[in-house]
Amino acid sequence: MTKILLSTGNIVSGGPSIIRKPGTFRSNLELTNSLRSNFLAAQEDYAAEVAQSHGGAANGNGSTTNGTDANAETGGGRPTASAWTASEDGILYVPAVHWDAHGLQEEPAHYDITAKLFFLPGAVASQRPRFAGEALAHVLRELRAPAVDLLIVSFPGMSFKGDCEWEADRINAGQGNDEDEMATWPAIEELHRAGLAKKLGLAEFGSEKLARFLDKVQVRPAVNQINLKNCCNVPPPLAQLAKEQGIDLLVHSDCTDILPKGTLRDLLGQGLGGAGLLADSETGTGGLRGDLTPQWVVKYTAVVRDRGVIENKGYFAGAELADE
Amino acid sequence: MGLLALGTALDWPDAKKQAHLVRSWGIKQLLEIWNKAKGKERDAMLWGDEVEYLVVKYSKDKPEVLLSLRQADILQALASDKSLSKEGCVPPLPDGSRPQSSQPPPVFHPEFGRFMLEATPGKPWGIEFKELLEVEPNMKLRRCIAKDHMLPNEYPITLTTFPRLGSPGVFTDPFYPVSGPRLRSQFVPDEIANPHIRFPTLAANIRSRRGRKVQVNVPVFKDEKTPWPWRDPTVNYDPHQWPEDDDVRNGAAPDNFIHMDAMAFGMGSCCLQITFQAKNLTEGRQLYDQLSPLGPIMLALTAATPVYKGFLADTDVRWNQISKAVDDRTAEELGEKPLVNDRWRIPKSRYASNSTYISEDPRLRPEYLDPDLVIDESIKQQLLDGGMDDRLATHFAHLFIRDPIVIFNEDLKELDLNKTDHFENIQSTNWQHMRFKPPPADNSIGWRVEFRPMEIQITDFENAAFSVFMVLVTRVILSFDLNFYIPIKKVDENMETAHARDAVLTRKFYFRRNLFPTTRASRSPGSGSGTSTPVPSRPPTPTGPVEAEYRLMSINEIINGTAYARDTTSEEQLREEEDTEGDDFPGLIPLVESYLDSVNVDVATRCQLATYLDLIRKRASGELWTAARWIRHFVARHPAYGQDSAVGEGVARDLVEAVVRVGQCEARGERFGGLSVCAAEGGGVPMLGRLLGGFR
Repeated sequence: MTKILLSTGNIVSGGPSIIRKPGTFRSNLELTNSLRSNFLAAQEDYAAEVAQSHGGAANGNGSTTNGTDANAETGGGRPTASAWTASEDGILYVPAVHWDAHGLQEEPAHYDITAKLFFLPGAVASQRPRFAGEALAHVLRELRAPAVDLLIVSFPGMSFKGDCEWEADRINAGQGNDEDEMATWPAIEELHRAGLAKKLGLAEFGSEKLARFLDKVQVRPAVNQINLKNCCNVPPPLAQLAKEQGIDLLVHSDCTDILPKGTLRDLLGQGLGGAGLLADSETGTGGLRGDLTPQWVVKYTAVVRDRGVIENKGYFAGAELADE
Repeated sequence: MGLLALGTALDWPDAKKQAHLVRSWGIKQLLEIWNKAKGKERDAMLWGDEVEYLVVKYSKDKPEVLLSLRQADILQALASDKSLSKEGCVPPLPDGSRPQSSQPPPVFHPEFGRFMLEATPGKPWGIEFKELLEVEPNMKLRRCIAKDHMLPNEYPITLTTFPRLGSPGVFTDPFYPVSGPRLRSQFVPDEIANPHIRFPTLAANIRSRRGRKVQVNVPVFKDEKTPWPWRDPTVNYDPHQWPEDDDVRNGAAPDNFIHMDAMAFGMGSCCLQITFQAKNLTEGRQLYDQLSPLGPIMLALTAATPVYKGFLADTDVRWNQISKAVDDRTAEELGEKPLVNDRWRIPKSRYASNSTYISEDPRLRPEYLDPDLVIDESIKQQLLDGGMDDRLATHFAHLFIRDPIVIFNEDLKELDLNKTDHFENIQSTNWQHMRFKPPPADNSIGWRVEFRPMEIQITDFENAAFSVFMVLVTRVILSFDLNFYIPIKKVDENMETAHARDAVLTRKFYFRRNLFPTTRASRSPGSGSGTSTPVPSRPPTPTGPVEAEYRLMSINEIINGTAYARDTTSEEQLREEEDTEGDDFPGLIPLVESYLDSVNVDVATRCQLATYLDLIRKRASGELWTAARWIRHFVARHPAYGQDSAVGEGVARDLVEAVVRVGQCEARGERFGGLSVCAAEGGGVPMLGRLLGGFR
């Protein structure tokens, strides 16, 4: 059993991966593109390091290489996995994260920091409290901030599709899993009480689900994020409920199934554009073996409060590799 | 418009003698504020818009429309109404209450033209997204308050120019005869200018310094029945009242050009200007540079000026006309005579596109800079000695090649370093398409950048859309650290290109192919973070030839992106396109949308912003027309138009009437939709749908 932590670094000045292309709305391209380009950059950094030391073998910043020794022989000219990933406390960091190089340029109080946590459909719901704690800790460590201003939680299996009037709202009422969502929320409330998230939010809750949810929770969400970008007609019941309850309806354009299992295998695999970390039985390439399950993704943004400038934006994704 | 100090204004021969003193005091004041303000940090993003109006006199049952010269009375009425009561101008909410606004009452300012008015918001805007939605209602409020302090038959309209300014006959109320001592124009009276001593002096001293009248010549639009060669029929070759009356006999009015001869023809144009406050000096310089290449693009996209002095012009925008209307260069400076008395040849008017980039950005390659830049070396040296860096010293040493035009005797008694009046004297009469503004003498506000090229639009909806768009573009530039640099000479070329009829659809502009860094910045934090990285840095990417960094693009491509432009371009046009496969440009609107996707915006705000972006998207793609195109169509289909380029009194009257009615409709909060509601007042406004689409 290996835990894997994928990260993008700051993508806001990262070029093409942040540009939305026509016809790719609701897509997870931003995440996959920026992960891919961060892997590539880390590998190139390694190559440069090797070139500087006249081809000598580099030792990946002193990190141990317990789980990845098998990958020392590289395939297709890729650098040794141990050189650009890192293993610490049982977590494989892909790529290695240089925490000391990060953080915000000014005092955290000058920023509006938002984290949006996606619980992925393949992961066990009972583990979500742990996921939430880990995800938020990574974000706070990356930004070197004591808390986020808003933590939005996105549960799997929910969407806001269809015409934006009553239909989407009606369909939404039967989506998701009320029980699991209610069981998860206390852990989120705990993060709030611990002072790590000043406000909480939900994503993709229609009027019925939201009403049921509000009935039962202690710390109420201040925000409900919905994907209505191409439609200005908020379903009237939702608009009314939000107004009555003082909940801000915000727009997003995220894909709910943001990191499907197959996509993650492609990202880490031996194929074209893959990071070359996973073993490939067909080609006999060595590497990590086992069943790979993406568990959560967290997207974070830090916006300078009175200047509207996005200074930092990125993703972490958590996955688990079960031994065969 | 600059400072309105009172005093004794010097005539040119006397002013000229004091020019050096004003410049040297101006530089001392600049260094004072530089040393005070260079370390200013973390100023908030604040911004302001300026909307300029023409005041017209129009009645439904009168056959003519006139420019009202009651600016002073109107400003007086506005000033004496302390509360600027909004009662009549703010419709009550559905529950009967008055909407609360955080905004103090708007502020009204005089302008050069005595028929003009400028209005700004009561306090600067911030960057809260909800605040962006207050801009349009505030613009409507300003127009409404202005109207409330006018006579019932006077209207503030936002056409860039009055179509028959300077035409024979009566075009102002009250009427004044032409050819006064200040302007010496054969087309407009001296009374066309704001009577405050600053304005007539400005006009007179520009004329006097130049040694003849300004020559504002615009190519005439050749229509089916336009005689060719075309000779401006309104030019009088006979007058002998002033020495400058010889100008036309000496070839000032060439064939096929509409000829104008006074500052009022340029400075009487209305525009839409936006000023941004930067967080510090560095960011201000970055914004100045990065917005500069966008100038010509936004000029072409907002084109609204196809008529001058009663004739259709062959250009769509005001820019060059203003440039010529304030061109005070002597024959020596223009290169027409050998340099004897003057210090240098000067390639551009005081009103022109930028000549400098001022950032210390490592991405600024020396090849981008203007090789023909004229600077005053001794002033540059003073600035360097005073602690200013080379690049900014070069910028101000360039602005300070100009003479101050209006000097008040009272200001020459002693140098006051607690003021910036002498610095501002030179700075504010350098009308480039961007302006870099140091903080005021008391250092109370931050470093600012003014974006000046946009033409005013007919409705407040459009003016708000373009203002908000530019605000969002600045946020995108700073967030994504975009690089728009191209050589300044190419920006100059683009500025010329932007003048062409329908340039937005028919012309291409030099624009940078790749706005993003060539290597990822994330693993090695950028400048300013103050943290160093343990990650080994890759060797710097070799820089290719500058010419490979940019290519020609349509405005559709620049605004909407290559993919969108490909989908909205006719097959015929596509065949003519060079193959740009693999060279896709993302487009400014998709970049703005990517930005909005990354920040928290509520549903209602996002929808409103989407409407603004839609308007701009459709203007860029040609689905909607620019105001210039709409005005051309209005004229062309008017029964009184003879296909001979002449825009007669009847046509001009009906055009202004249409604009007044669109304004009334907007003020009442009614839909433009074919102006069907307003049509009850006597016929619809033709083709309005092509201008404003289904919006509002």
